[in-house]
Amino acid sequence: MSRVLRSVVLVMALVLFALPFVMLLRTALSGGWSVFADLFTDSDVPFARSLVNSSLVAVAQTVGQVVLCSLAGYGLARVPYRHAGKVLGVVVATLMVPTAVTFVPSFVVVSSLGWLSDFRGLIIPGLFSALNVFLFRQYFLDFPGELEEAGRLDGLSRWGVFWRIVAPNSAPFLAAIAVISFIGSWNQLLWPLIIAQDSSTWTVQVALSSLLTDQNPKVALLFAGAAVSIVPIVLVFVVLQRHLVRGVTETGLTG
Amino acid sequence: MTRRSALAFWLFVGPFAVGLLLFTVVPIGWSAYLSFFDARNTVTPSEFVGLANYIDTLTDRAFLDSLGTFTVFAALVVPTTVLLSLGLALLVDKVRVARAFVRSVFFLPFACSYVVASLVWKMSLFSGLDSGVANTVLGWFGGDPQAWIGTVDPPLYWVVLTTARLWLQLGFFMILFLAALQRIPRHLYEAAAVDGATPGWQTFRHVTLPGLRGALVAVVALNLINAYQAFDEFYNILGDARGYPPFARPPLVYLYYTSLGSGGQDLGRGSAGAVVLALVIALATLLSGRLFRRRA
Amino acid sequence: MAVETSRRAFLAVAGLLGLAACGSDTGRGGSAKGTIQQWYHAYGEDGVQDAVRRYAAQYPGAEVEVQWNPGDYDSKIVTALQNSGVPDVFEAQVKVDWVRQNRVVPLDDLLGDARGDFVQTLLESQTVDGRLYGIPQSIDTQVLFYRPSLLAKAGLTPPATVDELLEAAERLNADGVRGLFAGNDGGVAVLTGPLLWSAGLDFLDADGTGPGFDDPRAATVFGKLRDLHTGGGLLLGSPTDWSDPGAFVEGRVAMQWTGLWNLPKITEAHGDDVGVVAFPALDGSGTASVPVGAYSAMVNARSADVEAAKAFVKWLWVDKTDHQAEFATKFGTHLPARASLAGATEGTVKQVARFVVDSGRIASPARWPDRANTALSDAVSRIAREGAEPAGELRAAVGTARSEIARLGK
Repeated sequence: MSRVLRSVVLVMALVLFALPFVMLLRTALSGGWSVFADLFTDSDVPFARSLVNSSLVAVAQTVGQVVLCSLAGYGLARVPYRHAGKVLGVVVATLMVPTAVTFVPSFVVVSSLGWLSDFRGLIIPGLFSALNVFLFRQYFLDFPGELEEAGRLDGLSRWGVFWRIVAPNSAPFLAAIAVISFIGSWNQLLWPLIIAQDSSTWTVQVALSSLLTDQNPKVALLFAGAAVSIVPIVLVFVVLQRHLVRGVTETGLTG
Repeated sequence: MTRRSALAFWLFVGPFAVGLLLFTVVPIGWSAYLSFFDARNTVTPSEFVGLANYIDTLTDRAFLDSLGTFTVFAALVVPTTVLLSLGLALLVDKVRVARAFVRSVFFLPFACSYVVASLVWKMSLFSGLDSGVANTVLGWFGGDPQAWIGTVDPPLYWVVLTTARLWLQLGFFMILFLAALQRIPRHLYEAAAVDGATPGWQTFRHVTLPGLRGALVAVVALNLINAYQAFDEFYNILGDARGYPPFARPPLVYLYYTSLGSGGQDLGRGSAGAVVLALVIALATLLSGRLFRRRA
Repeated sequence: MAVETSRRAFLAVAGLLGLAACGSDTGRGGSAKGTIQQWYHAYGEDGVQDAVRRYAAQYPGAEVEVQWNPGDYDSKIVTALQNSGVPDVFEAQVKVDWVRQNRVVPLDDLLGDARGDFVQTLLESQTVDGRLYGIPQSIDTQVLFYRPSLLAKAGLTPPATVDELLEAAERLNADGVRGLFAGNDGGVAVLTGPLLWSAGLDFLDADGTGPGFDDPRAATVFGKLRDLHTGGGLLLGSPTDWSDPGAFVEGRVAMQWTGLWNLPKITEAHGDDVGVVAFPALDGSGTASVPVGAYSAMVNARSADVEAAKAFVKWLWVDKTDHQAEFATKFGTHLPARASLAGATEGTVKQVARFVVDSGRIASPARWPDRANTALSDAVSRIAREGAEPAGELRAAVGTARSEIARLGK
C-alpha cells in the first residue's frame, strides 16, 4: 500500500473513531451548558448519587480484586503445594463458565442473602475474579527468584516477602490490572441492573440505562449524563494508559 | 515443612478460594437444583417438576432463536473484528509521527461503556430521523432515510449492533495485534528479503501472518466468548419500557427476561436454560479441543 | 488476556460470601420503621412527579418516600415484589399470580362508602376472586389523533374501518409527512388489543378461562397490521415512542395513536386542527374500541407495616379527592376514576369520555398472564414486522396462552 493511500485510510479511520465522541458532546450541548446543571437537579434520576455509588463500587472492587487476586496468583505461582495444580484447574475451569450461566444462580443467592439494593450485593460478588488470578499467576511465574531469596535471608516470612518485596516490585503490573478492573467495574451494567433495584443504590450505568430505555427519553439530558459518566474513566485511562497497554501486552495471550 | 508450605499456600489462596467456591460452585449447584422445580417467583420451591423446565426450554422457540441470534452475531462480529483490528494494527505500526496519540484515539472507546455507546448509536448515529448521522450520509448518496432500529425486514438493526461493538472493542484487539507484531523478530523480515520475498503481500503472508498465529487464536476465542455473553448493547438499543422485541435476543437477554423480566420470574426455567447453555459451551470446548489436537 | 472479558467475566466468577444465610427466602427487610416507600413509573407529563411528591410530603401519618422509575418499570416491580418489602406502596395493574402467591394484600376495606363512586369496570379489572387488590388512580385511554386539514386535503374522512385506516395511512404519506405513528414497533405493543376488539375478539374468552383469539379472524386482522407495515405509510424510528406526542406535534405524521393524556400538548401545537376517533372496527362483527387502563395503587404484602401502607393508600386514593382530581386532570388529560370527580368536561375530552363509556375495553385484564401476553405480542410482531404466516404464529400463541391461563385455575 502506498504511503499516501495509507495516510488517507488512517485519517478516515481516526475520524470514524472520533465521531461518536463528537456526536455525544454536540447533542449534549445542543441546548447550551445549562444542561449540566439540569442533570444534577433532575428529579427523575438521582444522577449525582449514582456517580458517587459508581465511584464507591469501582474503587472498592478495584482494591479488593487487586489484593485478593494478587495474593492468590502469587500463592499459585510461587508457594509449593501438593494440590496447587488441582486448585489452578478449578480456577481455569470457572473461567470458561460464561456469565449467561451464572447470573441467574448468583442473583438467586444474593437475593437470599438479602443483599438486593445493597452495596454488599453490588461489590462483594465481583471481587473474586478467576481471570485476574490467572493473569497474576502468569506474571508471578516470571518474578525473579533472587529478590525473594534476599528477602528471606533478611528474615522475612513468605507473607512479609510478598508485601515488602514482591508487591512493590510489581507496581506497574498491579497498576495495569487495577486500571482494567476499574474500567470493568465502572462500566458494568447487568449485575447492578438486577441488584440495585432501589434508586438510592443505582450506579451511573443503571441510571443512564433507565433513561435510555424509558418511553420518552430526554435526549439532551441523557447525552449530558453520558458525557459526564465517561469523564472519570477517560481521566483514569489517559493518565494510566501506558500501564494499560502494557497490561494488555504482558498478559501472555499474544504468544 | 510440607505442612507449613500448605499453610502458606492457603494463607495466600484461601480467601480467594473460599470466595470462588461459595460464589461460583454454590450458585451453579443451586441453579441446577432449581431447574427441576416449579420456581416461579421463588428461590425455595417445593413443587418438583422433573424435566419439565428442560422440555419447556428446549421446545421454546425463543430459546432456540437466541442460539441462532448468537450465531448470526458471532458470524458478523468475529471476522470483521479480526480483519479490522489487524488492519488498524498494521496501519498504526507504520505510523511515525504522533503514534501515541493515534493509538489512543483507537483505544479510547474501549474505556467507554456499552450503555454510552448504545445511547450514541441509538439516538444519534442511527436515529430514524432524517437528521440522524447515518441517514444524512445516505441522503448524500440519494438514499431514503431508514428506521435503522425499527426495521426488521431487512434486519438493519444488525448494522447498528455490529458497528457499536466494533467501535468499543477494535482498539483493544488492535493493541493485542500491535504487541504481537512488535514481537516478530526483525531478522525474519531481513531473511525473507534475502530470499526474494517482495515487501507487501508476500512478506505479510510468509513472515507476519505466521508470527501472529497466537494472537489470532486469542482474538477469535475472546471474541466468541464475548459474543456469547452479549447483553448490554442489545438490551439498551432494542429494549424499551415495554420489554424486548421477539427478534435479536441473544442467550443472555433471553435468560434475563425469562428469569427477571416482566414475563414473571421463572427461575426454574431460567436455571434450566443456564444449564443447557453451560452444556453447549462444554460441548463446544470439547469439540474445538478435539479439532485442535487433530490439527496439531 | 481479555480486558474485554474481564468486563464481562465479572459475573462468570460472581458468587457469594456467607453460605450460612443461604436458603432463607426472606429477602430484604422492609423500609425503615415509620417510612413508606412508594413507587411510580416515570410519567411523561411534566409536573406529575412534583405533585406526587407533594402529596407524599403532606401525608400526616408517616414519612413517605417517592421513587420515580424510568425504564422497564413492569419488570422492576415483578422483581422487587418477589424479593423484598420495598416498595410498600406501588402502582401497577393487578395480576392473578401476585394474588395467588400472596404478594399483595386485599384493599376492600379501604373503600367504604366511596365504592359506588368508582367506575365499576375499573374496580372489576382490579378484582381477583371477589377481592379488590388495587385502588384505581385515574383512567388512561388511547385514541387515534388526526389532522382534519390533512385528511381534507387528501379527500379522506376519519377512518371508520380498519381498511379505511390503512388507506388513510398510505395516502397521507406525502411531502415528508408520514401517515401514521403507532410506536417504534409499528403498533405491535399498543394496537394488539384494539385489533382484536375490532374483529370481535379479545385477549380472554367470555368466561375468562381460555384465550379469546382462537379464531381465523385473528389471522385476518393481524394480516391487516402486516399490510400497514408494508404500505409504507408508517413512521418508525422516532426518538420518542407512541406515548409521547412528539411525532404528531412536530408535524412528522398526519395521524398518531397515543394517549389522551397528550391532548394539552397536541392542542397547543395544532389548535383546532385536531380530531380524535376510537380505533375502528374491522367489519360488522367487530366493534370500534378504546383501551382503558388504570394503574392502581397496591400494597406489598411483605411491607414492614402493611397497615400503615394501607392507611396511606386510603388517605391518598380514597379520601383526598382534591389530590385525585388534580392528579387525573391537571397534568395531561386523564379521566378521573370516580364519577363524582368527572365534573363538566367539554369538547374533545367529552368526546373521548363517550368513547370510554361506549367502547372502552380493559387493556390488561388481571387474568391475562404475562407469558401469554409475551407469546401473543411475539406472534403479532413476527406477523407484522417480519411477514410471518399469521395462522401458524397465532396457533403457537394460542397454545401458550391456553396452558398459562389454565395454570391460574378458576
